[in-house]
Amino acid sequence: MLKYTLRRLIQSIPTFFGITIFSYLLMTAAPGGPVAALTFDPRTTPQQRERVAAQLGVNDPWPIQYLRWLAGDDWMRWDSDGDGVADSSFLLPLDANGDGEPEPPGMRRGIIRGDFGRSFFYRRDVMGMIGERVAATLELGASALFFGVAIGVPVGILAAVRKGGWFDNVTRVMAVCFNAIPIFWLGLILILIFGSWMGVLPMGGRTPPALTGGIPPIYERLQYLILPTFVLSTGAIAIYSRYMRASMLDVMSQDYMRTATSKGLASRIVWFKHGARNALIPLATFLGPAITGLLAGAAITETIFSWPGLGRFGVEAVKSLDYPVVMAVVIIGAIATMLGYILSDIFYAVIDPRIRFD
Amino acid sequence: MKALVRYLVLGALLVMVGALAVAPLAAQDGDGGIIIEGNLGGDPATFNPIIASDTASRRITAFIYPGFVAVDPSQAVIVPSDPPLAGGAIVQDWEISEDGTVYTFNLRSDMSWSDGTPITAGDVIYTWTAIQAGAEGIVDTPLSFVIDPTGETGILSVEAPDDNTVVVTFASAECTALGNAGVLYPAPAHVLPEDVADLNDAEFNLSPSVGGGVFLFSEFRPGEQVSLLANEDYADAANGVQSEGFIYRNVPDQTVMVEQFLAGETNVIDGPDVSRRTDIRAAEGVQAYDYPGNSWDYLALNLADPGNPQNGLDESGQPIDQGNHPIFGDVAVRQALAQAIDVDSIISAAVFGEGERMTSFIIPASWAYASELPTIVFDPEAASAALEAAGWIDEDGDGVREAHGAMFAEDGAPFTFTLYTNEGNTRREAIGTLVQDQLAQVGVQVDFQTIDFNTLLDIMDSQTFDSLILGWRNGYPDDPDATQLFTPASDVVGAGSNFTSYSNPEFVALNNQAKALPGCDPAERAELYGQMQEIFQQDLPYIPMFAINGMYAAGGAVEGFGPYPSQLYWNVDTWSVATP
Repeated sequence: MLKYTLRRLIQSIPTFFGITIFSYLLMTAAPGGPVAALTFDPRTTPQQRERVAAQLGVNDPWPIQYLRWLAGDDWMRWDSDGDGVADSSFLLPLDANGDGEPEPPGMRRGIIRGDFGRSFFYRRDVMGMIGERVAATLELGASALFFGVAIGVPVGILAAVRKGGWFDNVTRVMAVCFNAIPIFWLGLILILIFGSWMGVLPMGGRTPPALTGGIPPIYERLQYLILPTFVLSTGAIAIYSRYMRASMLDVMSQDYMRTATSKGLASRIVWFKHGARNALIPLATFLGPAITGLLAGAAITETIFSWPGLGRFGVEAVKSLDYPVVMAVVIIGAIATMLGYILSDIFYAVIDPRIRFD
Repeated sequence: MKALVRYLVLGALLVMVGALAVAPLAAQDGDGGIIIEGNLGGDPATFNPIIASDTASRRITAFIYPGFVAVDPSQAVIVPSDPPLAGGAIVQDWEISEDGTVYTFNLRSDMSWSDGTPITAGDVIYTWTAIQAGAEGIVDTPLSFVIDPTGETGILSVEAPDDNTVVVTFASAECTALGNAGVLYPAPAHVLPEDVADLNDAEFNLSPSVGGGVFLFSEFRPGEQVSLLANEDYADAANGVQSEGFIYRNVPDQTVMVEQFLAGETNVIDGPDVSRRTDIRAAEGVQAYDYPGNSWDYLALNLADPGNPQNGLDESGQPIDQGNHPIFGDVAVRQALAQAIDVDSIISAAVFGEGERMTSFIIPASWAYASELPTIVFDPEAASAALEAAGWIDEDGDGVREAHGAMFAEDGAPFTFTLYTNEGNTRREAIGTLVQDQLAQVGVQVDFQTIDFNTLLDIMDSQTFDSLILGWRNGYPDDPDATQLFTPASDVVGAGSNFTSYSNPEFVALNNQAKALPGCDPAERAELYGQMQEIFQQDLPYIPMFAINGMYAAGGAVEGFGPYPSQLYWNVDTWSVATP
């Protein structure tokens, strides 16, 4: 298994770089740029704008920008005599903005050396900002995944067992509805009902407003999780229940189920011990895509519910063309997706004895 | 194992149900309560006043640090310190040299940082050093605009002969001097890095240990809130700061922000969506304050040839031939278009009547606004006649005029042009749609497109557009100087704010005169700006639309709420929030 896992991880490296190149190309090819938005102030002089563009390096060709992001710029423009002024350069001009003075020496080390760059807008190291938000996204994602599985799987099993009955019909209709309802609409409606009209749940945020005390433990702020978790898990519940129903129906037609029934076992044991256990196996392959789906859904859910997570952070960065932040979020999404698929495959092989690592 | 799973699921469900019974907001103890503002502005990037450039950062730093010069909120002008109306600034008063270029500011001696260190001229010099470093690209500060690389305008030097005196020397006598000096916020030099080059990444930027304003920094929860505690030693609060503190809640959705306010989750709101203002005014106990806003929308017309964008001036300062836009190059056409647009109906439809018509480029709230200048009258018949006189006639009867002897367009060219605005801005999208409809009534075909904001700014800067709808938000206190917006020096392809290539020597001369008027008497300056507004209304590089009305509202529990235009928190030290 270790050999298989290592091979899959090594295979994912070119995929990872492919994703980063493609993402960077798409991002920089998009019309517009961050400088105009950052300097949209009539007091800003043309010279200041040019200086900002030179500082951010956004006027460089995209391969240079990508290389800087990947491997840093401390080897592109450096100070060889130690006087604090750049005097040597490679790939980049010493004086990028044409003011007759060399630009400051490069300070970035690039992602291959653990430096995700500096946000154009916040002027802070991106990794620190990601770190501030990842816990919130994990919290929401984990609770949504938990409820998606905890509700979707039993519903799917029961629907299969009662195939054609009212429960099956109702859950099928509801699954289609939950899949079809846009998350942003559902979120706003729930906010209106439970927050505005009934006043029983907060309308957004992750923590109660407080002057001091930091972020309270999760059990003191569960009420903030309820609505976003519900909204984010509706899609998962719908998909898991449909998938589980189909898988369960498939299993119920197997010979071993007939055998179990014919030897006189109680229906409950046949369905849940013999049937559901086997029907769960294909569900393991859904875990990888589920992580990606939750990240995508989190972008909208986090915005509606003022949830301070990575998804919302990424959306805001895309809007403001904050390239380093966008790329960091893309990398996290790419790694999560690739690891999710590898884990799915490994998990599948572990729980299904018919599958062997090769 | 099965039992464990059952208990886990049951436990989780019980906790969820139990949480439903918990009140959404834990009541806060304390006499003065907590002011909680929901805001769409996003996270502040920094809490360092030197580096703060975004709206959210400036909002928070205005609470944490004293200003340099005080503003009288009732008149929106810079005045000597006179708390409580004009407080919160370190300058007591000032003297101006005879030639108007040297300002000697006398500092107050009763202000100190929260750690007890007196606020002195050294703290101002620190900021000036950072501003100078910013001009060289070393410090990420937006304040360096006061330094003109050519040395012809702006601040030349700042000196501190003693702890209580700051001498600022300007390149020339300009009436914008006091406004420019306002960037010299005192910063707590004793806790900031000795070398200003280290300011960009200073730990202080996100956790300022020292302040001197009405509130002090408490904590920052990224993506969610910033909390500030009342500064018990704040010099300008005669009876001490009444509230416990202030919380800035980051709410990214406009609808949710309004609902949170109406439900009492927040107790202050600034600039709610125009479509919800009636609900807010009607809400029980809510205190609402409407004022003429400082944000305004316009329809900009490119006067130069968009196929060959050129700067306004060459390196020696001589005008460059920029060609003419085939349609908007003719002033008679611009005037006719302005007559064909019914701005009043646009105000009703796009902002539910929550706007005030602009007559020119100065907002109605400004002291320099020419109130006697009439608005352009909506008269489609006169517009049609003027277009025909200008050589735009619909001879083929297809509903769109063609050029027949027009000033800059080839004969037969249809009267059609592209109009851009930024997608996602429903107000501007409504303006564009209405303009498109109204101009169609006079035989003008508008290709209206909504595009990504950054893309729009790129097109605007490149000066390759026909027309666009955008807006400006004026500063506070606002100075009507038009140098950056409407003079050829700012007509720089790819970077300047005079992107319509407007050039009128008379307008520029008046602007220079008003900017450098000896004595800077507002009445005399207003007269000059009045003439400029008249010229602008004739030339129409922008078809002025409207200024969006501002609105502040506070919950019924907030006591002390008494804003002035664009000054919500001028007396926030007296605010308190009654807690149930």
